[in-house]
Amino acid sequence: MTVPAIEADAVGKRFGRRAAWALRDCSFRLPAGRVCAVVGPNGAGKSTLLAITAGLLAPTEGTVAVLGTDPATARPRVGFVDQDKPLYPQLTVAETLRMGADLNPGRWDADTAQRVVAGGDLDPRKRIRALSGGQRTRVALALALGKRPELLLLDEPMADLDPLARHELMGTLMGQAAAHGTTIVMSSHVVAELEDSCDHLLLIGGGRVRLAGEIDDLLAAHTRVSAPAGTELAPHDVVESRTTGRQLSALVRPAGPLPGDWRTGAPSLEELVLSYLRNPGAPAPAPAPETTEAAA
Amino acid sequence: MSATPTIAPTVPAAALPDQAPRQLRWLVRLHRTPLLTGTALVLLTAAALLWLGGPLTDASAEAWQRYNACGFSPDCSYDQDAIVRYKDVYNYTTYAVLAVPFLVAAWAGGSLTGREMESGTARLAWTQGASPVRWLASRLALPAVLILAATGLLAWLHRLAWTAAEGRVDTTKAWNDFGTFHANGTVPMALALAGLAAGVLAGLLLRRAMAALTVAAVALGALWAAVHTTLPHLWPTVTETSGLRHGPSGQGIVVGQGVVNADGDRLDLPCHTSTLPGCKSTLSDLHAVSFYRDLHPAAHYWPLQLVASGVVLVVAALLAYAAFRLLRHRTGTARRNAG
Repeated sequence: MTVPAIEADAVGKRFGRRAAWALRDCSFRLPAGRVCAVVGPNGAGKSTLLAITAGLLAPTEGTVAVLGTDPATARPRVGFVDQDKPLYPQLTVAETLRMGADLNPGRWDADTAQRVVAGGDLDPRKRIRALSGGQRTRVALALALGKRPELLLLDEPMADLDPLARHELMGTLMGQAAAHGTTIVMSSHVVAELEDSCDHLLLIGGGRVRLAGEIDDLLAAHTRVSAPAGTELAPHDVVESRTTGRQLSALVRPAGPLPGDWRTGAPSLEELVLSYLRNPGAPAPAPAPETTEAAA
Repeated sequence: MSATPTIAPTVPAAALPDQAPRQLRWLVRLHRTPLLTGTALVLLTAAALLWLGGPLTDASAEAWQRYNACGFSPDCSYDQDAIVRYKDVYNYTTYAVLAVPFLVAAWAGGSLTGREMESGTARLAWTQGASPVRWLASRLALPAVLILAATGLLAWLHRLAWTAAEGRVDTTKAWNDFGTFHANGTVPMALALAGLAAGVLAGLLLRRAMAALTVAAVALGALWAAVHTTLPHLWPTVTETSGLRHGPSGQGIVVGQGVVNADGDRLDLPCHTSTLPGCKSTLSDLHAVSFYRDLHPAAHYWPLQLVASGVVLVVAALLAYAAFRLLRHRTGTARRNAG
């Protein structure tokens, strides 16, 4: 697969001519087949980015290529679950799935949709308006998965789910990705819930891409260091540094070998993400870590 | 991770022609309740109009016949209830026919697009096989057909009922009475279509059900008022002239009246007849030779109806076009993908 799942080039979006930019100068490339976490604080522009990618919102500037074409053309091959999990309240669970089958002729996967719903012990005759938030999430995911998308965009998919359902549905998603090579992009502000399942990271803050790349590469490129206070950290790129007493702890992107007297450690994904979010002025890796063209 | 795509990348072309009926089927399912309620209301009004044009008109006509035969006889017996019942039912059914476009506008704004935009189900539809443009097209086309059928039926029955009473029931409304004029012709159909387009556009624009419902209904009212006000000027009038003793004469929709002087100039109407002493001297001061009145006689009914309907339909088309433009602009479906 040489066609990337998503290729964003300087994408910007503002709602209204005088409004602030919800997203600005957003460029990244997501190879197909990845499971990508989109993380960032509330209001960072995650939902806007996903809606643009899903072909539901036109960017104000820049372009996005989805599955090698424009988002509107790619729409039939893309699954999307909105943050609010909108569903028609007057339909029953069974009717909702039947609608998905009816409107996606030729690509509907009834078994998968059924399995996702069945996992929640849902009465298919129950109306959507009578479901709990978690149950609605299940139906929304079933609709998106039943479409057999090549790219699945999930906006805060796990927010309403209990830990058990979260675990189960994450397993279903990973199974889908493994079995069909589906590219999955999911946003969340809980980094921990994504760490085990995602292999790619897109960190959005203040409407911009702060960090993008394979998680392993990103972690390898950063080091947690402890050194005596006052130590000069240059020429390494400092993401965050803090002095407590006589101790300096920092997260750096080494520009070369580190001095032997510094104590070093590998950061966790959460540490990495939080360091970048706490320090909006931290230098973004330049150039952005080039993602490896692997797994074809 | 294995990235071997096992999914057929494109929908088989043969599956596409099926899309339209499938979407319409789900549109009907989603709006089943308003569809059933609306059908019931239309049938109820239609039944009332049939009742009005048949038994009620006959009873009222007979009562009027008896009343007129009484002359000044003190013990006159006629069915007053029949006369009152005819009048009431006539008024209510006229209101009902004219209310349909507003109900359509409110439903289209509130339910058809407004609520879908507000709750986000429109986005769900757009990612479930219905492209935004098709989604909108189905939401305009099917309701338009049903609405045309419903309003056409009601206006036709209203006209039948009104014609049945003409010349038989003394209180029959004149052809140019506001409600009667509009409910008897093609205007309800055009207005209902404009209401649909206004509602759909308002829903897309405001993205809130209640706001769209209100704005659509108010906008439709404004459109109707504007068309009603300008309508007499949109078709050439007929001029009736009359002698100074008679005053301006001629029945219909009056557009202007006054006096004509010896030079043939038209002047404002100072007073109504030279039989009044004051008026006589005023008229001679003006060198008036006759009264004139510009008006639309009953024969202009259909031209006026068609002009009004045409104007409203043009507005409806513009609103629908604006809705498509807005949706395409917002979702970025603008250039290639029109389907």
